[in-house]
Amino acid sequence: MKLLVCIKQVPDLESRFKPDAAGVWYNETDLAFRMNEYDEYAVEQAVRLREQLGEGCELTVLSIGPDRVVEAIKKSLAMGCDNAAHIQDAAAYSKDPWQIASIISAYAKERNFDIIFTGMQSQDRGSAQVGVIVAELLGIACTTTIVNFDYDNGTITAKRELEGGIKGVVKLKTPALVTCQLGLNVPRYPTLPNIMKAKKKEITAISVAELLKEESLAATTSFHPPAKKGGGIVLEGDIADQVEKVIAILKDKTAVLR
Amino acid sequence: MKTLLIGEYREGKMLESTYELFGFAAQLGGESAMLMVGSESQLPAYGGTLYLADAAACGEYNPDMHKKLILEAVQIENPDCIVFLHSSYGWDLAPRVAVALKAAQVSEVIALADGGFEVGCCNGKMRRTVKPATAKTVLTIQAGSFPVLQPGGTPDVRKLEAAGGTTVEFTGYEAAEKKDVDLAKAEIIVSAGRGVGKKDNIPVIQALATALGGELGASRPVVDAEWVSHSHQVGTTGQTVSPKLYVACGISGAIQHLAGMKKSDFIIAINKDKDAPIGEIADVLVVADVMQFVPAFTAKIAR
Amino acid sequence: MFLDLSEEQKLIQDTARDFAKAELEPVAASLDQGDDRSPLLNNLKKLAELGFMGLNVKGEYGGSEAGVVSFSLAITEIARACASTAVTVSVNNMVAEVIQAVGSEEQRNAYIPKICSGEYAAGGFALTETCAGSDPAGMCTQAVDDGDSWVLNGSKIFITSAPYAGVFVAWAVTDKDAPKGKGISCFLVEAGTKGLVIGKEEKKMGQHASATNEVIFDDCRIPKSALMGKLNDGFRIAAGELAGGRIGIGSLGLGVGLAAMDYSTRYATERSQFGQKISNFQAIQWMIADAYTELEAARLLLMSAAYRKEAGKSFAREASMAKMFATEAANKACYKALQMLGGYGYTQDFPVERYARDARITAIYEGTNEIQRVIISRDILKNFS
Repeated sequence: MKLLVCIKQVPDLESRFKPDAAGVWYNETDLAFRMNEYDEYAVEQAVRLREQLGEGCELTVLSIGPDRVVEAIKKSLAMGCDNAAHIQDAAAYSKDPWQIASIISAYAKERNFDIIFTGMQSQDRGSAQVGVIVAELLGIACTTTIVNFDYDNGTITAKRELEGGIKGVVKLKTPALVTCQLGLNVPRYPTLPNIMKAKKKEITAISVAELLKEESLAATTSFHPPAKKGGGIVLEGDIADQVEKVIAILKDKTAVLR
Repeated sequence: MKTLLIGEYREGKMLESTYELFGFAAQLGGESAMLMVGSESQLPAYGGTLYLADAAACGEYNPDMHKKLILEAVQIENPDCIVFLHSSYGWDLAPRVAVALKAAQVSEVIALADGGFEVGCCNGKMRRTVKPATAKTVLTIQAGSFPVLQPGGTPDVRKLEAAGGTTVEFTGYEAAEKKDVDLAKAEIIVSAGRGVGKKDNIPVIQALATALGGELGASRPVVDAEWVSHSHQVGTTGQTVSPKLYVACGISGAIQHLAGMKKSDFIIAINKDKDAPIGEIADVLVVADVMQFVPAFTAKIAR
Repeated sequence: MFLDLSEEQKLIQDTARDFAKAELEPVAASLDQGDDRSPLLNNLKKLAELGFMGLNVKGEYGGSEAGVVSFSLAITEIARACASTAVTVSVNNMVAEVIQAVGSEEQRNAYIPKICSGEYAAGGFALTETCAGSDPAGMCTQAVDDGDSWVLNGSKIFITSAPYAGVFVAWAVTDKDAPKGKGISCFLVEAGTKGLVIGKEEKKMGQHASATNEVIFDDCRIPKSALMGKLNDGFRIAAGELAGGRIGIGSLGLGVGLAAMDYSTRYATERSQFGQKISNFQAIQWMIADAYTELEAARLLLMSAAYRKEAGKSFAREASMAKMFATEAANKACYKALQMLGGYGYTQDFPVERYARDARITAIYEGTNEIQRVIISRDILKNFS
């Protein structure tokens, strides 16, 4: 069995975001980067399957981006991936989901992975497209937003999270791709000995130019903060003052306290 | 601009969110047609063309076949935009259609922008304007971002049939965990978010809900941390609510949460961060520590 | 000159931070207030499983081989959430390291894996006595050679983790006629040994979750094989290992200082007085600037001492400088943070008063800051005489 998990490194979402010089993405200065939260669930599920299958199973982690993404790759290796592919691309942020998926599928095409795991979406761009496009380009089965995963003898049984807390149960034959939703499992912390041992695992660096043959299909023309909703009242200052004002507003504008 | 709207149908019913697609189409302007894998007994109140495939035959979740049906309708209608809801159905299906057409896809559209589309990013903190470079565009629209619009009338139904196998076998639904509270019916909801700090502080938020005569709600992180059970979750993966009053305590306002509560009549948000996205939709933003403001507020109301 | 952390060091820092935020921070306040220590013991076990109890210990003994810089980073992150947990982790690492440094192969195999794996909740470092605080060479506890065993008599005070330590590294006088400091030996005493009595727990100002007890040796008979290192060489061992422990305590201080300033600075951007945010006032701005500058200087001193130890260079002077400076910077930071919160800072509704109490001891234990100054000046002056 050959498994692949695709991860992205994203900024800490608690950060303040400022547009970059071109005004089309965030300025990276002063941002701390970490593994996309959805991808942590994908890595954990891939590692669990790797452990379930034991010898003869190989789990590769892939990430596209500048040198900094090696830290996220190493975290995946410390969590239990066997080896890694780093698609080196200092301008990954400017690629649209179509291009990112094309890069991944170009990498995966000849390597015949049985199961590919991705996060359901990235926290920064949030397109929720890449995983599905990869599966379509590779011509393999795919389902999205899974919150439960089982594998037995060539068949994946997964539960998809639907709106309103309902789940949809699906079965897929491998080769297949699944996109992972938050809550799928409880991602492990990498242990310190495993962080140190991950140094010895192989990270293959591949230039993005070798894999990317596609032009972008959609361009980001602006990155900006949301416009403030007009009419919203902002109350600052003393707590007692704030309480008085909120109560006055509630009496005035709603029937709640009347 | 010509659009093909993809309606949603689940467990034998057309979903009400389908009407948001008409709201979007009205803003975009131009002609539109709809496609739905559903049933003749569940038709949208709309007088235009409806490409209808039978869900009993095609399956409610069968991406391979649904893709085929949509491509068939695209062939006939030749639309500029194929529009889905940004839902578990839409984000699963839209990229498959986009790849088949090699069309640009813009996800989670929240508004129209000059020559393109406005989408949220960075967990709802920021926005991007995206301009497609292809002749056809696939869109998924964020729930709650466009008005519900019932055009009225009876559709001109054109039946579609599809044959062929599937790579994803759908075996059934699993009901949501039993609810101990029905937020959808609540007139007042007081919700706890990550900013509440810890499980021990939940009773403080519950106390305010009780004082106001409302129900306790929660954001996803709070439910994931098991501070509050899932039946209290507000948002796209929990319940969509529209109470008379919604009080968001320590909720920064991830877009998934906002989509679940932004239709509330009146929204009060209590947050330490003045720039939190919740401030965007709140009628009143109280910039304060939740654990200081809420007890003081509760005490004053209870009096 | 290269001041960036390696990817491994960053990952260890991230792991410590994530764990501290998710597991330690939520229980820190209740641990400070309550008597139930089970959340602490529970978290110590999890930290051991992640490899935090033997950061600078070889893999063959169950350690992580992550080095001293990683040790410092981990302690700082843990202390940002819970100083009591951080001091326990720091002492456990020190005990594992001292056994690795001077223990026999049998002793290393017998005890280090148990500390690293969490089988022992903690290790004890039993040096201080009522009559031997800053002057450990003046200790009174005696070990007498009695054929095939040693018999220990005396008492130790301020022993961290004593009620749940699985093994103690203990010092006793083995040659009372030798010149001062030349007749002390180091022993390994297992918990449960007859005659080893865990005495009363101190009621401390801060770091409440970490137990600090008297440990009494009452005709405590241990095997001959329990002697660690050479006979009468114990004082040198203690002096050497305390230097490493100082990096831990300095890092702990830094973590508490950062936690206090991060809290108070955020508060200052939210609190309004005179119609504006208090962070607009220069008095507040200066506190923020001064505290963060001192904490950054402390961080660099700690990194330098940790790097020197990791590289096998002399580091005792640098460790003392870092411990002294970092713990004083932390105390000053806590003072300022509390001041920034005003009256609220003095209440238990906010964590800053806990940070202030927790930080205070860091200027005292692991060698008072006055002793650090003695060590530093002595080391400098020897080059001038």
